Amino acid sequence: MRAGSCGSLLRWLAKRSYGCAQQRDTVFAVSSGHGKCGVAVIRTSGPASATALRRLTGRDELPRPRAVALRRIRDPGSAEPLDRGLVVWFPGPHSFTGEDCAELHVHGGPAVVSGVLQALGRLPGLRPAEPGEFTKRAFQNGKLDLTEAEGLGDLIHAETEAQRRQALRQMEGELGQLYQRWSQELTQALAYIEAFIDFSEDDNVEEDVLTRVDTAVAQLDRELRGHLQDGRRGERLRGGVHVVIAGPPNAGKSSLLNLLCQRPAAIVSPVPGTTRDVVETTLNVGGYPVVLSDTAGLRDARDPVEQEGVSRARDRLQQADLVLAVLDAAELAPQPGRLAGALQAVLPPSPPPRPCLLVLNKADLLAEQSRGALQQACAGDTLPPACLLSCMTREGTATLLRLLGGQLQHICGDPLVGSPSLTQTRHRLHLTSCLDALGRYHRGRAGDLVLAAEELRLARRHLGRITGQVGAEDILDIVFRDFCIGKKAVFKGTRSTTGLGWSLLGAPGEEPSLPQYRAAQSIGVTVGRPRVQPLGPSGKAEGPAREAQVHGMYMGMSGGGEGHLCSRVWTRLVNPVLG
Amino acid sequence: MSPPRLLSLRLPPPWSRRAGSDAAARYDVVVIGGGHAGTEAAAAAARGGARTLLVTHKIDTIGQMSCNPSFGGIGKGHLMREVDALDGLCARLCDRSGVHYKMLNRRKGPAVWGLRAQVDRKLYKENMQKEILNTPFLTVHEGSVEDLLLKEPESEHPGKCQVSGVLLGDGSKVHAGSVILTTGTFLRGMVLIGLEKHPAGRLGDQSSTGLAQTLEKLGFAVGRLKTGTPPRLAKDTIDFSILARQWADSHPVPFSFLSETVWIKPEDQLSCYLTYTNPKVEKIIHDNLYLNNHVKETTKGPRYCPSLESKVLRFPNRIHQLWLEPEGLDSNIIYPQGMSMTLPPELQEQVITCIQGLEKAKMVQPGYGVQYDFLDPRQLTASLESRLVQRLFFAGQINGTTGYEEAAAQGIIAGINACLRVCGKPPFTISRTEGYIGVLIDDLTTLGTSEPYRMFTSRVEFRAFLRPDNADSRLTPRGFEETGCVSRQRYERTSQIKAAIEEGVAVLKSLQLPPSKWSSLIPEIVISSSRSSPVRAFDILQYPEVNMELLARIFPESLGKLAEWRELAERLKIEVVYKLCTSNQQQEMEEVRRDEALRLPENLDYFTINASLSQEMREKLDSNRPQTIGAVSRIPGITPAAILNLLRFVKTNRQRTGGIKVPFRTGRSLPERNTDVLGKSEFQSSNLSRAF
Repeated sequence: MRAGSCGSLLRWLAKRSYGCAQQRDTVFAVSSGHGKCGVAVIRTSGPASATALRRLTGRDELPRPRAVALRRIRDPGSAEPLDRGLVVWFPGPHSFTGEDCAELHVHGGPAVVSGVLQALGRLPGLRPAEPGEFTKRAFQNGKLDLTEAEGLGDLIHAETEAQRRQALRQMEGELGQLYQRWSQELTQALAYIEAFIDFSEDDNVEEDVLTRVDTAVAQLDRELRGHLQDGRRGERLRGGVHVVIAGPPNAGKSSLLNLLCQRPAAIVSPVPGTTRDVVETTLNVGGYPVVLSDTAGLRDARDPVEQEGVSRARDRLQQADLVLAVLDAAELAPQPGRLAGALQAVLPPSPPPRPCLLVLNKADLLAEQSRGALQQACAGDTLPPACLLSCMTREGTATLLRLLGGQLQHICGDPLVGSPSLTQTRHRLHLTSCLDALGRYHRGRAGDLVLAAEELRLARRHLGRITGQVGAEDILDIVFRDFCIGKKAVFKGTRSTTGLGWSLLGAPGEEPSLPQYRAAQSIGVTVGRPRVQPLGPSGKAEGPAREAQVHGMYMGMSGGGEGHLCSRVWTRLVNPVLG
Repeated sequence: MSPPRLLSLRLPPPWSRRAGSDAAARYDVVVIGGGHAGTEAAAAAARGGARTLLVTHKIDTIGQMSCNPSFGGIGKGHLMREVDALDGLCARLCDRSGVHYKMLNRRKGPAVWGLRAQVDRKLYKENMQKEILNTPFLTVHEGSVEDLLLKEPESEHPGKCQVSGVLLGDGSKVHAGSVILTTGTFLRGMVLIGLEKHPAGRLGDQSSTGLAQTLEKLGFAVGRLKTGTPPRLAKDTIDFSILARQWADSHPVPFSFLSETVWIKPEDQLSCYLTYTNPKVEKIIHDNLYLNNHVKETTKGPRYCPSLESKVLRFPNRIHQLWLEPEGLDSNIIYPQGMSMTLPPELQEQVITCIQGLEKAKMVQPGYGVQYDFLDPRQLTASLESRLVQRLFFAGQINGTTGYEEAAAQGIIAGINACLRVCGKPPFTISRTEGYIGVLIDDLTTLGTSEPYRMFTSRVEFRAFLRPDNADSRLTPRGFEETGCVSRQRYERTSQIKAAIEEGVAVLKSLQLPPSKWSSLIPEIVISSSRSSPVRAFDILQYPEVNMELLARIFPESLGKLAEWRELAERLKIEVVYKLCTSNQQQEMEEVRRDEALRLPENLDYFTINASLSQEMREKLDSNRPQTIGAVSRIPGITPAAILNLLRFVKTNRQRTGGIKVPFRTGRSLPERNTDVLGKSEFQSSNLSRAF
């Protein structure tokens, strides 16, 4: 038994590595998302796409390229009709991946989809796609640069309108173009400085080329700085704006959370200090993604559990992009002058000053007169925008949402206006390094010109890394790991090494059966062949399993280690200058 | 007074016979050509212990500087230092023959300082001949080489046949373990002046045609290049008094690590003078373009040492610099650098006389152009051995380079490797992370060239590390240990200073003072006030205002000795200035080394391998034939994705089979971009038998 499974494992591995060397399998996957839906799109990419399309439609001629055709789709084995649907044929290189692609638009019922998938899986040379594989192929075939690929990933994940707009813009390459332009300007500057080093003694390379380089570097420095100081707009829009509800105990913070997310997400009670942990929920406000946190009431607590809650609340406030300061209107109404002091106690003490909305809750308890007094007290310039709200009667909700929307827009910016925003921490890291190098350029310029030129090379290298111009496998690993089907699925899928996945996915070497396929999906395991790798000689998992380990530790670590293709400054820089 | 002929002579091999006798002579290495590549190659092979024969048309032309009377320059000076680190000749000889030493780029950082010297042609030639004719194991033969002797290839190496010797012009055969071809522009060389055109080389000399035909038949791909030389002027007819004078350095820096000083007294050095072109020059050139075949033709010339005509055509309405350089201490000839032209002689005289200072100048010899075939260097490995014919090495201008220094650099590598090949030892190659020579040869053998290739510092990725000051510590130990072509004396000297530098750096790191103390001791420097922790002498030395002498006054006990050794003090300062940058580059250098370690099979058939590569990429790879993944990444136009896919292909194949098994192409001729194939005929065994 043991020997048998070992043998099949070997066979499977042999097949697998053959599959790698045989570098282009044809892959297929449902591209329209899982679950019941009206129409499901199944896509194939690779050289066998044409055969697949012929076999499934039972016709020898392919539809006209890039035009929709209605076809009956049959199981090529049994000739049993599976569905009637639209098919599209995209011969390479004019397709998304750059390879031959086919799309089958079938009815979205699970039986139809699984039938078609099974039929495809039985065709020779076809296998289910791995997470992100279509995009990866598109990148490898030069159809996308890295920022475009990232944009595509974001587009697929975009949940709100503003996110979608930003991702679309990035996918269309605007961000990449911006970085490309900077990279070109740096190249130009570098070429000038190189010309000065190599030719100024013999030929007429004027001294003023260096001034031109200085000007270009200063300009770039400004642009990069501006781009970086965008208040992390793009990243916020991508990851969600962190809005933290804070205030003294019993001011109605949890009620506000429940009001905004329209469900009883947090426990509310008249007892002060009910909320002890941070309660987090995500919502969409006016198209902007928001991560809303409710926190414990801020006071000098005695109870150690509550003390911990208060400390967590303060931590959360430190990370807030926007603070919703909730105060008890009824308590403040007699002395509106205390408003500023009460607010100060809520806001995080350390800089930078954060945008804030003042929410005066329990407005239903106010008399008309004190309501006016409060509003007057809020009208001054010294306080943040404020609104009167009653979580009980929902009075003032519209005003709050309007104010909140305004603030969010301010924080995220309009993704369609101005230069595209940077959306990933990876970008920020490289841009910061680039900027640092430009800063050191000026120092080198005063002393050793070689060191100054070196800094420009370094700066350029960092820019190149963002767009993947300089193709480093470790970057690719990180980028593609974050793709489409998502981290979770990749993570659990590879974990199946440990044995958990075995019973679900069947014996190695076999394609999973449909029930196994489904069962696997239901717990988030990647659909497809079991991603199993043996332990390497060192006793450590290799390949995808290692990826899983690294991934488990967190993706900031670069996996692999071998075969980095370093960015290299191409040395023929002087040509553009010399004509 | 006649020059010595056929002197070998310290250790005449007992088996060597006079050319012309029936029995074939036998040598380890035969070098064809006695120019800058040939002399370095022959000397290097002989230093390595190979019995070496240098065959040249005329012993008297050995060491001739055929064009400009200068050596070195920016990038080129680096090459010379590296040649010297491998115990080569040109640097030492320049220290004995220069008449005007000048360090270029003084203001731009020691990493790009360019050692340069105007060299006395006669002295250099004399010194070189003395050197060559007195090198043990090296025999010189005056005569021509008619053909190569070829035999069946060794099966473990790529190549369709192997060279086993040469056939001399007098009909005698010389057997050899390896052969180095350094014949410069001899392949279809053509001299052009105005509309006149005649074959290069001495008139009526047909001796090289057999060799050229053999190369053709073997299927070597060639390209065509052009270059030129300026007219020469009589010194006593030039009015120097109205021209800007360029003085030589008052403290000349020697080229060689072994020279304490140069031979000439600083005050005895000659000067150069600067003059400029003017609109009249431009007009003459424009009006007479129809008389100028050389310029009209499309053959690629050097962009970096362009003819006056091409400067005028490319950058009209500008004035261009012309340097008037002395040719020697007792020479009456002036070399006008920057005035290379191919107009008919009368018009050249016209051009000359309308230039300031040259109004009455006499032209001693007109300028002319040369067009020649060069061998596509992509057919060579990094050791400069040809992939087509085993044991046949190429070096110098024949590989598409320009310049004495580039030739010398290739010569020494070819010489070392020809010698190692005979001994059956692994080749000696220099990586891009180790030296300018490595960059030069990697560029040539990976990318080929479409214009005469000249060295620049900007071609070098790790410029801050590959400096002229540390060429010895980079290359001498390797040369000594791996090739035996470096003398023990040099090796010990290098080891000594290398150890002293390391020790010096350690001492500098150990000496610390609080920032306030430093500020009061050296008021010129500004130490950032945010620092409160002690600052090391190592960090202080990085300031431009600080040198070892200054530090030695502060720490006389620890640093006094170090500062007294002047060379050490200077090298320590440079080392410290670049330390941060070079240590930051370590990782990048490591990556390059790793990529260079990923070797691609010699005969990989890019058109059939199963990797995701576009047709365009396949063509590029096929014509460049990179030897490593590192080389792939430097081919222009190769996308990161293509590199990645190729890398994956290499890795999976290696994993699968333990070595790369891939389809090989056989019997192909090299396709090319910039070159045309001279002989398309496939090599056949009949050619083989003909050669024997």
